[in-house]
Amino acid sequence: MPTTSENWNPGKAVDRHPEATYEEKERLFLEVKNDTRYEDFLYGCYECGICVSACPSARFYDFSPRVIAQAMAREDVERIYDIITEDIWNCAQCFSCVRCPRQNNPGGLVTILREVSLKNGLQESKDALQGYSRVIYKVMLKGNQVSPDMLQPDFFPDWGPWVQNFSQNMQVWRKAIPMDSIRGVTDAAWRTDRKTLLELYTIWFESGNMDIIKELDESLYDLLTDVMNEELEEG
Amino acid sequence: MTSGKVLIIGGGPSGLESARCVAELGGEAILIEKRERLGGTPDRENYAKLTHHWRDASEAMADMAAAVTSNKNVEVKYQAEVKGMSGSAGNFTVEIEAGGAAESLNVGAVIIATGFQHFDPGRATQYYNYYSFPDVITLTDLEKMLKEHKVVRPSNGEAPKKIAFIQCVGSRDRQIGNEYCSKVCCGIASKQAIELRQQLPDSKVMIFYIDMRMYGYWENEIYWPAQEKYKVNYVKGVVSEVLQKGDKLLMRGEDTTMSRPMEVTMDMVVLSVGMEPSAGTRAISQLLGVKQNQYGFIEAGGAGGLDPVATSQEGIFVAGAASGPADLDDSIAKAGLAAARALASVRKVMA
Repeated sequence: MPTTSENWNPGKAVDRHPEATYEEKERLFLEVKNDTRYEDFLYGCYECGICVSACPSARFYDFSPRVIAQAMAREDVERIYDIITEDIWNCAQCFSCVRCPRQNNPGGLVTILREVSLKNGLQESKDALQGYSRVIYKVMLKGNQVSPDMLQPDFFPDWGPWVQNFSQNMQVWRKAIPMDSIRGVTDAAWRTDRKTLLELYTIWFESGNMDIIKELDESLYDLLTDVMNEELEEG
Repeated sequence: MTSGKVLIIGGGPSGLESARCVAELGGEAILIEKRERLGGTPDRENYAKLTHHWRDASEAMADMAAAVTSNKNVEVKYQAEVKGMSGSAGNFTVEIEAGGAAESLNVGAVIIATGFQHFDPGRATQYYNYYSFPDVITLTDLEKMLKEHKVVRPSNGEAPKKIAFIQCVGSRDRQIGNEYCSKVCCGIASKQAIELRQQLPDSKVMIFYIDMRMYGYWENEIYWPAQEKYKVNYVKGVVSEVLQKGDKLLMRGEDTTMSRPMEVTMDMVVLSVGMEPSAGTRAISQLLGVKQNQYGFIEAGGAGGLDPVATSQEGIFVAGAASGPADLDDSIAKAGLAAARALASVRKVMA
C-alpha cells in the first residue's frame, strides 16, 4: 500500500510495517550492505548535519540524508526498512551531500537502496516510478529524453533564483558559447548514434537493468525488449 | 636551613615524572607514596591498555617507576604520609610518617601529585542503580575485566552480547555539583568499546553521550576507528534510568538525533564515571594550606591563569589530576613543568 497522508503513521518504525517480518527487513539490509560500493559510500557518521544543510530535498520534504547515513552506520534494520520504503524516493540524487567531512556518500547509499528496492519489487518503488513509464521508455530506447529547451525553470525551484534569469536569455547565452557540440541540439533531444544505442541495449541487458524494469512494469518491459531485441538482431 | 631538595607527594604518573625530571635536571628528590608500591591510580585500579600506542598500563607504569627507583638522586619512601608542614619556600620542614615511624624532612620545594579518584556512581542523580544491579558496572570495573581478558556479566558469569556505555556520569551535572567535564571518559569509553569488540567479536556495543569530546588525535585514533572499524554505535542522548527486565537491563533515554524516545535492553551497562579530587588531594590541600577550587581540586594557574603548576603558596607546586581532570599527557607534561619550576625556585633561594 502506498504511503499517503491518510495512512502515514509517524509512530515507531517497528509498528509502521507490520506486514514485513524482521527477517525480510534484515535480508534487504544485507543486500544493501553487501553491495560492492557500500564501503566506499559509508564510513561513520557523527551527525554533524552538513549533508542536510546542503540537501535541496531536505528543504521541501521530510527527508534527511543524515538519518540515512546514521541508520545505515548503526545497522538499524527497522529504520532502514522505513527508509527503503519511504525516504529514498524524496532524494533528487544531486549528490550535494558528498561534501561530508567523513567522506560518506548518502546519495550513493540512496542509489543502492533504490536499486535493492526495485530488484525486490517493493510496491513503494512501483508507486514512486509509476509516473515515469514514458521517461523510462524514451531513455531506454533512445538513450536520451531531454532537450535543453524542455527544462522549465518553474519545475525546478531547487535550482535557485538564477535559473529564471538564465532561462530568459538562454538563446543569447548559447550563442555566446561557440561550442560545436551544442549546435543543432537545443530544441531536440540529442540523437544517439546507432552503434552507441546498440551498446547501451547490451549494457542494459547485461547489467541487470532490464531485470529491474521487468520487476517494475512487465508490460513496459515487453514493449522495450521487443524493440531492443529486434534492433540487436539486425546488429 | 635552606634546602635544595624537592619533596614530591604521590607516586602516580605525575609524581613519578616529577621525580625523574628533578633528578635529570641535577636536583635531589624525595618521593613519598601512601601505598607500598608505585604506579598510582593506573596501577591500583588495574587499568588495561593505555590510549598511548595501546600499551599495557602495568608495563608503562613499571617503566615510569623503574626510571625513578633506579635513579640515585631520588629517595622513595613507601607507606608514607604527610602529617604537617611549616616554613616557607626554600626552607620547609615537613613532618611525615613513613612505615609507621615519624620523620622530619627539610626541603626547599614541594610538588603535590596526589591525583584524583573515580566518581562514586551511588551519588548519580539519574537512576542507574549501580549498587542494586550487578550488571551495572563502571569504567574501572570494566577496565579490570578487560585486563584479565574475562569480560562477563557479574550476575551470571556469561559473556555479555549487548553492552552500553553511559557517558558523563558524575560530570557536567549541576545537581551533583560537578559542572566540569572530566575530559578523559569519552576517550576511555571508546577505547574500552574497541577492546570489547576485540575480545567479544559477537557483541554489540553502544555509547550514549551528550557530546563526544575526542580532542586532538583521539578523533582519528579512537573515535573514528571505533565507529568505522569496530562498528560501535554512538547515540546522542543521556539515559535517565536503568531498570531490571527479566535477566536484562532496560535503558530509557532519547535518541535525540533520530527524534524519538528509546527503550533498549542490555546485558551489561557501563557507567563512564568522571574524576573527582582524591581523598589525598583534599587532605594535603588542608595540611599545606593551598587553595582548593569549589570542586575540591587544588587551584592552579597563578594570578595570570597561565601558570598551570602554581598553587596559592610560593614554593608549592601541583602536577597531574590533583588540580583538575587530566589525561596522562596532561599529567606528565605538567609534572615536567612542576619539576623545572620547583628546581628553579629552590635554586633562586640557595643562590
